[in-house]
Amino acid sequence: MDPALSTDVPTGRAVAYIFDGLTRFTPDAKVVPGLAKSWEVSADGLTYTFHLRSGVKFHDGQPFGAKNVIYTFQRVLDPKTKGGRGWPLYPIKGAEDYAAGKAGATMGVTASNDSTVVITLKEPFSIFPKLLAMPVTSMVAPNGADNLGQKPVGTGPWKFVEWKHDDYIRFAKNPDYFDGPPKTDSLMARIIPEMSTATAEFEAGNVDVLSVPDETGKSWQADPDKNKLLQSAPALRFWYVAINTTRGPLKDARVRQALNYAVDVNTILSAVMAGRGSAANGVIPPTLPGYDGSRKGYGHDVAKAKQLLAAAGFPTGIDVELWAATTDQSPRLSQAIQANLAEAGIRAKIVQREASSVREAARKGAADLYVKEWWADYPDAENFLFPLLHSKNKGPGGNVSFYSNPKFDALVDQAHREQDESKRNSLYSQADALQFNDAPMVYLFFYKDMYAVQPWIHGFNVPAVFNGQRWTDVTISK
Amino acid sequence: MLAFILRRLLLAIPTLFGVLVVVFLLLYVAPGDPVQEMVGERADPETIARLRKELHLDEPLLKQFTLYTGGVLRGDFGNSYITQRPIIRDIRERFPKTLLLAGSAMLLASVLGITLGVLSARAPGGWFDRLGLGIAYLGISFPVYWVGLILILIFAVMLRWLPPSGYGGIKYLILPAFALGSRSIAFLARVTRSAMLDVLGGDFVRTARAKGLKERVVVVRHALRNALIPIITVLGLDFGYYLTGSILTETIFSWPGLGRYVVNAITRRDLPAIQGSVLFLSVIFVLVNLITDLAYAKADPRVAYS
Repeated sequence: MDPALSTDVPTGRAVAYIFDGLTRFTPDAKVVPGLAKSWEVSADGLTYTFHLRSGVKFHDGQPFGAKNVIYTFQRVLDPKTKGGRGWPLYPIKGAEDYAAGKAGATMGVTASNDSTVVITLKEPFSIFPKLLAMPVTSMVAPNGADNLGQKPVGTGPWKFVEWKHDDYIRFAKNPDYFDGPPKTDSLMARIIPEMSTATAEFEAGNVDVLSVPDETGKSWQADPDKNKLLQSAPALRFWYVAINTTRGPLKDARVRQALNYAVDVNTILSAVMAGRGSAANGVIPPTLPGYDGSRKGYGHDVAKAKQLLAAAGFPTGIDVELWAATTDQSPRLSQAIQANLAEAGIRAKIVQREASSVREAARKGAADLYVKEWWADYPDAENFLFPLLHSKNKGPGGNVSFYSNPKFDALVDQAHREQDESKRNSLYSQADALQFNDAPMVYLFFYKDMYAVQPWIHGFNVPAVFNGQRWTDVTISK
Repeated sequence: MLAFILRRLLLAIPTLFGVLVVVFLLLYVAPGDPVQEMVGERADPETIARLRKELHLDEPLLKQFTLYTGGVLRGDFGNSYITQRPIIRDIRERFPKTLLLAGSAMLLASVLGITLGVLSARAPGGWFDRLGLGIAYLGISFPVYWVGLILILIFAVMLRWLPPSGYGGIKYLILPAFALGSRSIAFLARVTRSAMLDVLGGDFVRTARAKGLKERVVVVRHALRNALIPIITVLGLDFGYYLTGSILTETIFSWPGLGRYVVNAITRRDLPAIQGSVLFLSVIFVLVNLITDLAYAKADPRVAYS
C-alpha cells in the first residue's frame, strides 16, 4: 500500500482511504480540493500555485507541510524507489530528468513558505490538478517511508490497522480528519478471489457492500428482494478491440471500419455482458465532457462490412489473429467477436493467453487484434484520447493500435494547453470524431458497475472512478 | 536408520538443484514480462528499461541464474518484485496456514476414510459396503471446487452454521478441510477396504479368531495393522499434494495459504516469488516422501532401511 508503488486498482483504492493528494475525486468524478485548499494557475498555464491546508497531521502525528509535497514527488520519481509510475508527474519541469537519475536534475517544485507550493510545468497542461488526485501522487512523510508498503501512514480519513495478506485489510476512522471524520468507526476490505464465494458472503450477511459479478447481477435483477439492494452506475471503463494499424490489411482504414460494422455490439452486450454497459461511439464515455451524443456508432451491418472489404481489395475476406486474456469476460467476448467477424468473411483465429502475455504482445505490436479493457485513472476525456491513441504513446504508453495521425495528435496537444474548459471539450470532441472515422479499434462498450448494498448500509454511492469512494459518508443501522 | 535418512537428504540436493534449473528455464521461456506487470497499464519505455536493468533482467540467462542461486545458497530468496517484501517472510507467513488446512484435511480423511473402509470390508456386499461404495464414487468423481461451493451454499448460506470463507478459528476450518479431504476420504475408504479384504482372508486372522479373540481386536490389532502399507502410501502422496498447494480450495474459501500466493505470483510474473515458493515446496515434498518411507518401516518390521 505504498502510494509510490501503486499501479493496480485494489491498491489504488486502499491508498485513497489512508492517504490524501493535493486534490481528490468525489464519487461522481469531480475534482475537489484535497490537501490543497485552493490553487491558481498563471495566465500562460505554466505555473500552478497550491495553497495547502494548515494544521493537518499525519496519522502518527507528524505535521503536513510544503516540504512533504516536495519529498513525495521526489520519492515517486527517484529511481531508488523502483516505482514504475512516475508519468503523472512528468508534466513538471525537470521531472523526467530526475526520474532518469540525471545528475544535478532539479524539479520545478518549490515551497515559498510552509503552506504554499509552486509547481512549474514544462508546457501548459490544463488538467494537471486531476493527475494530483491519483494514488501515486498521494502525500507521504519521510519518517517511516521505507515501510509504507506494510504500515502505511497518511493524512486520510482512515487509519491503517492491520493487513492479513490474502484475507483482509482493516482500517479505523481518523477522528482528526481535516474534512470531518468518517461516520462509521471502522472499515474492512475483504480479499475474496472467487466471486461465487464473495456472493455467498454477501448472502450470509457477512459482507455489507459487494461488487456484483455480471451473471449474478442478471439473476439478482430478476429477483425482487435482491433487486432492491442493487445500485449501478456507468464506470469509466472501456472495452474495445485494439487493431494493430501497422499490420497487413489492417493498415487500410476501410478494413478497420469493416471490422466495426461486422461486430454486433448490442447483442454482445446483452448476451455476454448481461446488459452491463452502453455501446461506444468513440473513446469518450457518455459521462464525461467532450462526449458527442449526436454521432452514431458503426452499428451492425454485415453487407456494409463486406462491401468495404471488397473496396479495400479483399473480396474474399482476410485472416487475422485475435488475442484475448483468460481472465474476466475476455474469452467469451473474443468468441462472440470471432463469430461476428466470420459472417463478414473475416477469419479470426483466437489466441488465448494469460493477461500478462497478451499485454506484452500488444505492447510489442506482435499480433493483429487484442480484446482490451481500459480503466480510467482520472475522469477526463484526455485519459482516453491521449494514452490510447496519441502517437507519443505507441506500445507501452497504451496506444497498442500504433495509431498515428498528426491531425489527431495536434488536436490533443492543443487540448492539453487549452485553459478554457468549453474550448477544451470541443477539441476533445473533434479529436474523438477524427479517430472514430479512422477506426484504429473496434469500439465495444463502456462498462456499468453494479454493487449490492445491504439494507442496513446508507450513504453509499457507486464511484465513477475507482478511487472516488472513500466511505466517509456511509452509515450503518443494524 | 540414521545413515538412511542422511543419504536420502543428500540425494535431495541434486533433485532440488534440478527443480531450480527447470523452474528457471520455464519462467525464462514463458511469455510475459515481470516489468510490464510492475509498471501497470501506462508506462514509458525509459522506465521499463531502467527497471529491467535494476532487476538484472537484461543480463544473460546464466548470469541471472548464478545471481539467484548464489542468493539461495546464502539463504536469501530475494524480494518480491511487486510488493518488495522478502519472499522468505511471505512464505513463513502463509505456509503454517496451508499446513493447518492440509493437516486437518488429512486427519479428517484418515479417520473417516479408514473407518469407512474397515466397516465395508467386514461385510463385503452388505448394505454398508454398498453405501460406502456409493460415497466413495461420489467423493472421487466430484471436483473439489464443486464440493466447496455446494458446502458453502448448504452450510453457510442456507443453514448459516459456518462462515462461507476466511481464516480464523476452527469454524473457518471445517468446510475447507472437508472439501479438500473429500477425495482422500473416498480414496482411502476404497484402498482400506481392498487391503483389509486381502488380509482378513489370511491364516493368521483365522488363528486369531480361533484363539477366541474379540472381533474388534482381530480387526483393529491384527488385520488393520497388516493392511497399513497401501494406506500409508495414499496418505503420504495426498498429504504431499495438499501441502504443495491446495490452490482451488484456498481460492474458493479465500484461505490465505501458500497455494494462493503462488497463483498470484504467477499471474503477476513475480519471478522471485514463484522460484522461492516452488523451491520451498519441493523441499517439503521431498521431506514428506522421506517420512512416508520411514512410516513403512514402523508399520511393517520386515521393511528395513540401511
